[in-house]
Amino acid sequence: MIPRRLRTWILVWTPVVWLVLTLVTYPKDRPLDTGFVHLLGGFFAPTVANYPAWIPLLLAIALAAYGIVKLVRQAESSWFPWALIAAGAEAGLWFVAASGLFHGHFSLSGRDTGIAWLFQTVLIVLIAAAVYAWGGASPERAELTVWNTRQIWRLYRSNWQGMAGLYIMAFFVAMALLAPFLANHAFLDPTAQIGLPFAPPTLAYYHWFGTTEQGMSVLAEFIWSARISLSVGLSAAAISTVLGAGIGIAAGYYGGWRGEICMRLTDVFLVIPWLPLAMVLAAAWGQNYGIIVLIVGITSWPGTARVVRADALRVRELQFIERGRAIGSSNWHIMQKHILPNVFPLIFANTILVVAIAILAETTLSFLGLGDPLNFSWGTMLHYAWDSGAAGLPAWWYLLPPGIAIVFVVLAFTFMGTAFDEVLDPKLRKREESGGRPDEGTDRLLPLGGGVGGTESLAEVPGGGIWPGPADDWDPHNDTGGRP
Amino acid sequence: MDKRRYFTRKILNALLTIVLIASFNFVLFRILPGDPARLLVPKGRFSMDAMAKQRANFHLDKPMWEQFIYYWKDTVQLKFGDSFAQKRPVAQVVGERIWPTVILVGTGTIIATAVGLVTGVIAGWRRNSKFDVITTNSGMVMYSMPTFWVCLIFIMIFSTWLRWFPVGRMYDPGVVYTSWFSQFGALLHHLFLPAFTFAITYMGEYHLIVRSSLTGVMKEDYVLTARAKGLSDSNVLWRHVAPNAMLPTVTLVMMNIGFVLSGAILTEAVFNWPGLGLLSYDSMVQRDYPVMQAVFLLGSVAVIAANLIADIMYYYLDPRVKA
Repeated sequence: MIPRRLRTWILVWTPVVWLVLTLVTYPKDRPLDTGFVHLLGGFFAPTVANYPAWIPLLLAIALAAYGIVKLVRQAESSWFPWALIAAGAEAGLWFVAASGLFHGHFSLSGRDTGIAWLFQTVLIVLIAAAVYAWGGASPERAELTVWNTRQIWRLYRSNWQGMAGLYIMAFFVAMALLAPFLANHAFLDPTAQIGLPFAPPTLAYYHWFGTTEQGMSVLAEFIWSARISLSVGLSAAAISTVLGAGIGIAAGYYGGWRGEICMRLTDVFLVIPWLPLAMVLAAAWGQNYGIIVLIVGITSWPGTARVVRADALRVRELQFIERGRAIGSSNWHIMQKHILPNVFPLIFANTILVVAIAILAETTLSFLGLGDPLNFSWGTMLHYAWDSGAAGLPAWWYLLPPGIAIVFVVLAFTFMGTAFDEVLDPKLRKREESGGRPDEGTDRLLPLGGGVGGTESLAEVPGGGIWPGPADDWDPHNDTGGRP
Repeated sequence: MDKRRYFTRKILNALLTIVLIASFNFVLFRILPGDPARLLVPKGRFSMDAMAKQRANFHLDKPMWEQFIYYWKDTVQLKFGDSFAQKRPVAQVVGERIWPTVILVGTGTIIATAVGLVTGVIAGWRRNSKFDVITTNSGMVMYSMPTFWVCLIFIMIFSTWLRWFPVGRMYDPGVVYTSWFSQFGALLHHLFLPAFTFAITYMGEYHLIVRSSLTGVMKEDYVLTARAKGLSDSNVLWRHVAPNAMLPTVTLVMMNIGFVLSGAILTEAVFNWPGLGLLSYDSMVQRDYPVMQAVFLLGSVAVIAANLIADIMYYYLDPRVKA
């Protein structure tokens, strides 16, 4: 029987995920005079979920492979692997449809299915079913996961900085997702003037933030820029984390000459002045956000690698690693099953901090004119403002909104990162406060240990403490989720 | 650790990193698209002969490994070829841009370090006081602000609205100064805004790290001993706590000085300050590869040198390294 709380979560989060993914791909091409009712039809537009075909292909391979591994390894039969394999098969069908195999013109970047939104919806439902089956098959582990998550959330909630960051970020993410509803994308066209150049703000909606040097609406640009700024930041941070965590864990676990090679590489990347390098690469490889993601990703990982390595060195000396070696576990198995979960809290908190750095980096590159000229980000807006001499007019309505948004978003991610740092790894907090080696501070991304306010300790939070484990009379088939 | 061994190790490490960076630089500018020889030949005099001549000139007709050897020979002699845009030797172009950057970054760093250290020490000493909450949160805001945005806002406020400071450049164009004194005054007048913006963006970081390391040091036993001896608060703070809390700051300040180039690009570009940052921005806009290559190498070497100096300073500042 699946834990009651997990069931509720699945019921709540499945529609949320569906809504988010649909909004991300919601059609942009809406005529200027469309009313609100037409907007709802957009949810089933042919462009929704119309990804390039390699995305469903990757999903299909990953889901099916994971499902087959689980099927081979499972001790008792359950629906969980089958649900995964079904989801993988569905993603495979989606790939076949999207790549044009049906029509005989195969292309990995092809996107010629009009019912991609249907494929996406079914896939989300199948994955939700897989999670449901997992909860039913191993209720104890599900219960532990639910309990841990709630515990982390409790601690996180008591950290006012973290909550402030979460609210700010929720605001901007909502703005980015709802952009098609908030501002018509047609206003971003260079020919769509709404007034005179540099007209100050008025009360009319699209005039709230005045106009640009071309007489375009600053508000429309501002709202749509949130998408690029946030998504570039998040994807760059993802690349940086994968590289940094991988190299950091390998360096920390292996040590010796292999670790030395990894650390030498990290040192080289650490001393490379990232901005000149990024400028060279962006100037040479062209101007689009894929390149910027790649550049920011490959120049920002060394910090993560050093932090993760330091923590992996600590975990490596723990006793269960020795036990793992003694029973003949492979290096890969130990790194994946023992080191990674123990280092993970640090990686997670670090990733959030790297998002802040990546957003700043993207903004900087766009400001220098290296961004995609066809899309707007907050940095691109400031680039045009600078180029057109908005500071000398002074067109404050053009300069302030994007800058303030950047400050808020970066601040939000910094707050959230530090809050998670404290919540997820109390050991880290202790180590930092005890002084430690003199150069230890340089290994942290941000020297913010124990910010103002700070988190209460576990014992002070209602319901906190160490997991009591399932009670003696706990019956997995009759679990009420803690209710009488 | 033995002094000689410590220094040898650090210096060898730095040299190895420089070699790796320089090799990376070689590869980086070889994988860029476009035929460099095509860029070197002036448009009016284009011919296959001229192309071949330029190729031979820059050893582009040799195999890769031979190019690599020539690259090293030239780099060691500081021969980076001619700038595409200015038609002058790169070493000369870069050389005359170093001083403005040093002046700007030096002033900015001194302001930032001084303010950041003092506020950081006071905030860490009186943790959770009103002063701490205000300075630390504004420090985080400063840390989150993009440099170029601060530049633009300051130009808007201080140059456009208040007209206190000129918009950019080092001197007003076309002005001949009668004495070195008035020239120095004009320099200061132009320097204030860029240096202040530069300082603002680093101040927050210094404040946060000093505060954090001070908090750590205050838990040490010798602080308790100092208090038990009956020393006054200010004595404990400035004689026993603050000097030890400075150590991580030394690393950070040196690291940032090393990154002077990256830090200065934005400030210099917005304020038209004729330093290395503006040079690298201009050479990016003009696709002036030889200059970019030299600036990139110079920037990396600056970071490595700054790190090395930090390590050497550590040896004398922190007795624990010797043990």
